[in-house]
Parts: sequence; C-alpha cells; structure tokens
Amino acid sequence: MGARTYSRSTSLLAVLRLSVLTFLADPQWLVPSLIAPVIFGLVSYELFTGAGPWFVLYAILGAGMMSMWGQTLYGSGWATGQDRHLGTLEPTLTAPTPYVYVVAGRVIWNTLAGLIGGAIVFVVVAITYGHPIPLANPLLFFLMFVFVIVTLAAVGVVFAAAYVYTRYAGFVQNVGEFAFYIGTGCMFPVVLLPFWSNPISLILPPTWALDALRYLAIPGYQGFSWGFWWDMAGAVGTTCVYLAIAGTVFHRVERHVLEAGDLNDW
Amino acid sequence: MTGPPAIHARDVRRVFESRKGFFFDELVRTEALRGVDLDVDAGEIFGLLGPNGAGKTTFTKVLSTLLTPTSGTAEVLGLDVVRQAAELRPRIGLVLGGERGLYNRISARENLRYFADIYGVDVTSRDRRIQEVIDRVGLTDAADRRVEEFSRGMKQKLHLARGILHGPEVLFLDEPTIGLDPKSARETRKLIRSLVADGVTIFLTTHYMFEAEELCQRIAVLSRGRIVARDTVAGLRKLVGGDRTIEVEAYGFDDGEIGRLNGLPGVSRVLSEEFGPRLRLTMRVRTNELTLDAVRGLLANHPELAVRERRTSLEDIYLDLVEEEAS
Repeated sequence: MGARTYSRSTSLLAVLRLSVLTFLADPQWLVPSLIAPVIFGLVSYELFTGAGPWFVLYAILGAGMMSMWGQTLYGSGWATGQDRHLGTLEPTLTAPTPYVYVVAGRVIWNTLAGLIGGAIVFVVVAITYGHPIPLANPLLFFLMFVFVIVTLAAVGVVFAAAYVYTRYAGFVQNVGEFAFYIGTGCMFPVVLLPFWSNPISLILPPTWALDALRYLAIPGYQGFSWGFWWDMAGAVGTTCVYLAIAGTVFHRVERHVLEAGDLNDW
Repeated sequence: MTGPPAIHARDVRRVFESRKGFFFDELVRTEALRGVDLDVDAGEIFGLLGPNGAGKTTFTKVLSTLLTPTSGTAEVLGLDVVRQAAELRPRIGLVLGGERGLYNRISARENLRYFADIYGVDVTSRDRRIQEVIDRVGLTDAADRRVEEFSRGMKQKLHLARGILHGPEVLFLDEPTIGLDPKSARETRKLIRSLVADGVTIFLTTHYMFEAEELCQRIAVLSRGRIVARDTVAGLRKLVGGDRTIEVEAYGFDDGEIGRLNGLPGVSRVLSEEFGPRLRLTMRVRTNELTLDAVRGLLANHPELAVRERRTSLEDIYLDLVEEEAS
C-alpha cells in the first residue's frame, strides 16, 4: 500500500506537471502567454522607436513586465482561485502535503512561463523589425530577468494565500492590475508619480527589480534609486519580506479557513 | 467492540457565523452540530443518517480535518482531528462526491496521478496502484478521457478512486452512490464491502435507507445537529416500537378509534398520515399476539378499510426518530 508521508520533491513535480497539463489543455492561457507579449512588444516598439534604441528598450522592458504579470503573479494567485472554483481546494488541503508546496510548484511553473512570455517580447520585436534589441550586459541581464520574475512570484504567493483566505481575492487582484503596472514603473518612471504614491511603489519587489534590470540594460540609465546595487538590495529585501509574509500567513490562513468552513464557497 | 474505537467524538459542537445586511451588521449564528457523541469501531461500516441540513456533512468534515469544531473533541485512529491533523491526513480518505472536486480538463488517470503524489503514494508503485483503483471502481475504459466528458456517475466513481488511492485506514463517504445508476450503485456497495474486508473502517452518510440497512453494522440518526439514536438496525427497531408495522387505511378515523388502536396489546405507537381523502394509521407493534383480524374487528364500521402488515423498515425507523425530534 502507499507510503505514509509526502515527499517535497514529488509533490512539487506533481504540481508542476499538473500546471503544465492544465495550461496545455486550456486555450485561454494563450492570451497572457503568447498574444499579450506580442502585442505589448510591438506597440512599445512602435510608440518609442523614434526616441532612440535605449528608450525603446526601456519601454519594452516595461511591456515584458506587464505580460509577465499575467503569467507569473496573476497565475500564482489565480490557480488557487481555480481550486476554489473547481472544488479541488478541499481534497488538496486534506492531503498530507502542506498547501504551501502546492503553491510553490505553481510558482515555479508560472516563473518558467513568465520567462517565456518576457522572452517572446524580445524575440518578436527583433524578428519584426529585423535587428536584435541592444543590451549593455546580456548575461547579467538574463540573470536579472529571472530575478525579476522571482520578485513577481513572491507577490503571487501572497495573492495565493489571499485566494485561500477568501473567494473575493480575485476582485482585489483584478482591480490592482492597472495600479500595479503604474506603481512598479512598467509604464513610465516611478519618479513621475506623485510623491505620496512612492511608498506604495517601494513596498512592491518588482519596482526595485525592474529598475535594477534597466540599470543593467541601458547605459547611463538614471533610475529612482542610487544605482543598481541599491535596487538589488531593495529587491532582495522586499522579496524576502513577501516570502516571509507568505510563509507565516499560509499557516494562519489554513487555520482560518478550517474554522470558517468556507473552502468550498465560490 | 475489540480494541480502541476508530472514531471517538465527544460533545462536538459547530457554530457557523455569518454577517448579513448592507453594512454586514447582522450576525447570523447557525448551530450545525449541538454536542455530538459517537464511537465507531475499527473495521465496521457505520452509517450516519439524517435529513438535509441535519449536520451530516459538517460532522464528516470535522472528522476528516476539513473543519474545526467550535468545541468538543474528536479523535480518528487515536489522533486529535485538530491538533494532530497532519499525522492523521495520510491515514484517512474523504469522498465528498458531486460534480466538483476534480480537474476537469485533464484525464481521470492524470487526476489520480496528481492526487497520488500529493497524498504520498510511493512513486515506485504509483502507476500500478492507479490502475488498480481505476479497475476497482470500473473506469478502466474511460481512464484516459478528460473528466469534463464524464457523466455524474463516472465522476462519482473517480471521487471514490481518489478516496481509496492512498490506502486509508478510515474512509469517510458522503453520499457515495448519489447520482449513480442502479448497476453502478450496486457495484459501489460491493466495493465498499470489499474495502471493509481489507480492514478499512467506513463512515458513511446516505439518504438511501436500503443502502444503510444493507451495508451498515450500526447506524446513527442525526437530526438538527444532535444524535437522536444509535444502534444496529434491529436495536433501532426495538427503540421505535417493534419489528412489525400494521397499516390501516380508510376515509377517516375518529379519535376514539385511534385511542382504541393505541390500547391494543403490543402496540407501541400509532402515527397518522393523510393521503388525499384517505387517512393512513401506521402502528408499530412489539409482539406477535396482535392479529390483523383483531384490528379489522375493531374498525369493522369502515367498509372500505384496508389492513396490511409489513416488517418495520429502516425508513420507518428513521422517519419516526426524525419526526419525534422535530416535535
């Protein structure tokens, strides 16, 4: 008969596998993972092509970030919302594997998918306009790109906890989507925003990470902080805080939902 | 009883609170469980019966660690369902059934593979085990089809397959045959009996009295959050007033006649029920002394009188107990 304990690696792989299977089985994901990146990339290029190659890169990075939102951050939380919707949250929570591992597996998948989404933006622009987008430091840029997605995933884990907590989490996430684009500097520099909104931007890890990415990619870039390393410190610090919040919150959230008895509500 | 009970619950209470009104200022409290005491022996099939809203699913969820009781204690396999939930979960299975609870866009086999992995089924024997439960519930031909193509009955079978996949020692089944055609329901009951033969303790809630009578060694009746009776079916028959049920039907009876029927030897209770213009009196009878001729003699002034006898069914017992509690 079956073993009596769960294996973390087996559980993570199982969630990863399930995520890929449900992704491939559901054509609606083509929108955030393929169609949206292409549109964002092309529109950004057309809008800013007259402003010089580095400004185009600035805009395309923001566009890539927006497409990754759908896949990485939104996907991590949304998948838990889907568990509520399908009624699979109950059998998943009664499994020996703690739910945080289920979320972690989804975050890994969404991170990979987000990476693909971001890369599509670069590839589409390069192919469509016949020349690659210039990068000041391609290798470091790639590593930083992955890190940006990790910061998005950190916020996604917190959203996943919110989805376990309440069926209304999707409302907050949907409403916050556009604010997130603006607040993190995807659409235009954070320094252009009113001063009172800066603290909100600074508590979001992707704000720091995207700024650091632009420092790396664009020579002479002047971001909102005092340089690449300050951005990195901010990104690492806020990501750790989000992951710590998620780790703490998940246990409390699980306790809360078992007390509230609304796991099956949608 | 031999050895410690598989399930042991004492004074389990569960209150649901919700807020209503435009400003959510109205607190609504619903007492779903009002002090449930219950012991279930290891290796038995225990049935929990009750009308809709009686608290059956709430109690099942409490025992299966999905819901925290407001007060009281519950242990399954000697483990507290709240404090030792993590140790308990690998050892129990829960089948809530219904249309939901499955990943619809992937196949039954892929669903089972996912749940096998997060339920800790050994990866070296996982695929074999999945095929085993697929065959056992009768989904062999449909195993690689998407769940969204399944009928309700097939989904019910898949729920059952998932519930037994990791080899639980205690299996909670909430309405396991609901939505199944008669043949599938019979196969499911056969499967449940075979699980008990393998040493699994079954905690079953059902609305089908014949199913409970056929499967369960002992039965408890839950009504408005409280256990109103618990015993074997034979024991419950005694509790509600006897093995024999005599029904008399005519166009009305007066109070004097009903009183005289109540006074007949061995009659423990007389219940009345209207059927259009006719009235049916149902008598529970403890002894064999009372004959149908004696009843006919007492009601000889009703030319259209119909008198018949049958064995007191579990449904009779259940309705008696629930109506008694409600009154």
